[in-house]
Amino acid sequence: MDSQHLNPSSLKSRFTARFLRALIKINAQKPISSSSPRDIFQRYQRIKVAADKSMAYSVRSRRTWSRATLWKLRSRSRRRLASSGRRSSIKTRTTTTTTTTTTSTNHRAAIVEKTSHEKENKEDHVGLAVQAEELRELVPGGESMDLCNLLDETAHYIKCLTTQVQVMKKIANLYSLE
Amino acid sequence: MADFSAQSYRQPFPFLDIDPTMESLTQFAELNPQSFILDNSAFNFQTFFPLSINDSLFSNQASQGETMSGFIHNSNQSSVSAQPIFSAKTEVEEISNKRKALDILESSSGNSSSSSPQVSETGIKRRNNSGRGKRAKSNEKEMEKPKEVVHVRARRGQATDSHSLAERVRRGKINERLRCLQDIVPGCYKTMGMALMLDEIINYVQSLQNQVEFLSMKLTAASTYYDFNSESDAMERMLREKAEEAKELERLMREGYVGIGGVACFHSSSTYGPL
Repeated sequence: MDSQHLNPSSLKSRFTARFLRALIKINAQKPISSSSPRDIFQRYQRIKVAADKSMAYSVRSRRTWSRATLWKLRSRSRRRLASSGRRSSIKTRTTTTTTTTTTSTNHRAAIVEKTSHEKENKEDHVGLAVQAEELRELVPGGESMDLCNLLDETAHYIKCLTTQVQVMKKIANLYSLE
Repeated sequence: MADFSAQSYRQPFPFLDIDPTMESLTQFAELNPQSFILDNSAFNFQTFFPLSINDSLFSNQASQGETMSGFIHNSNQSSVSAQPIFSAKTEVEEISNKRKALDILESSSGNSSSSSPQVSETGIKRRNNSGRGKRAKSNEKEMEKPKEVVHVRARRGQATDSHSLAERVRRGKINERLRCLQDIVPGCYKTMGMALMLDEIINYVQSLQNQVEFLSMKLTAASTYYDFNSESDAMERMLREKAEEAKELERLMREGYVGIGGVACFHSSSTYGPL
C-alpha cells in the first residue's frame, strides 16, 4: 500500500524494536511467580529503565542528554553489580570505568564552574536563571550547558519523549486488549 | 558567535582540502574552536560564506541582494560538493539575522589570506559604496586580530561595545530556539514572554516524564496479568509475542503516515496480516 513511506531507521521504529525486545526479555525472566508487591515493583523499575535505556540507545551518543542518560544507567548498574559481590570480573571493569567517570565528572565540574561564572555575567539582564535551573534539572545532562544549547537539547528531548510516550501507549493498549 | 560558527564550521573542516597556504589555516585552527575556519584552495572567501546559510536568509536580504547575489553566483559553481556537507551539519536551521550574515562576510573579508586580497578589497568597496545609511554610520569593527571572529554590526542608536553586541547575538539565538520550541510545545502562545514560555516548557517536560512513568507502570501491570492468563506453553507465548511485536511495529510505522484513527490501522493491518 504505502510501504514506500515506511522508514525502518526512524527514531520511532528503532525505539519500538529495542523496547519490545527488552520487554520480551523482561517477561521471559520473571515467569508467573511474580505476584508479591516487591517483585512487581522490581519489574516496574526494570521496565522503566528499559524504556529510558532503549530511547537513549536509539539516539546513540549524538545528544548530550542521551549520553548523560546512558552514563547514568551504566554507572548505576555497575555500582549495583559491584556491591552485590561479583567482584572478580566486574572490578577491573569498574576501576577502568571509575577512572573515566571521574575524569568526566571532573571535566563536567570544571565546565559547570566556568559556565556558572559566565552565567552570572550574561543571564543577569535576562532574568531567566530560575527557569533555566529548573530546566537543567529536568533534562538529563543539562547541568553543564549554557541556555542556548540547553534549549536545543530540550527540543530534541521533548521530541524523543513524545515518541516514547506514543509507542508505550500503543504497546500498553495492545497488552490490555488481550 | 560561539555556537553559530562552531556548529557550522568546525565539522566540515576535515572535509575541506588542505591547501598549500597552511599557515593561514593553522592560525585559525589553533584558536579556540569558535574561530572561523577558512579554506582557500577550493573556495575563496566569497564562496565560503553562503554555504551554511539556507534560502530563507537569502530571501530576507532583499535590499542587499544585489551585492550578495554576485558573491552567491560565484559560490554556487565552485562549492556544490561541499554544500550538502554544510547544510547537513548546521544545527541552527533558520538563521534570519541578516546582520549576522553580513558581518561574517565582513569578518571573512577582513581575515582572508593573501590569496584574494584584491577581491576582498573590492568586496568592501562594493559594500561601502552601496550607500546605506546603516553602513555609513556603524562603526568599522574589522579588526585584523585573528582572535575576533564574528563582527556584529551595530545599528544606529545602539551600543557598540563588544559586550552588548555579543549579548545581542546570543539573545537572538536564544529567541530563535525558543521559537522552535514554541512550535513543538502545545500551549505556547506567541504573545507570551520568554519566562512564561519557559514555564510552559518545563511543565510539558515534567508531564511527559510522568506519562512515561505511568505507562511503564501500566505495562508492568498488563504484563503480569498477561503472564497469569497466558497459556502454559512458554514457547507458544514467545512466538505470539514476536508476532505481536511485528504487527505492532508495522502498525506503528503505518500510523505515523496514515494519520489518526485506529480504523485506518485496522484496515491496513487486516490487508497485510501478520508479518
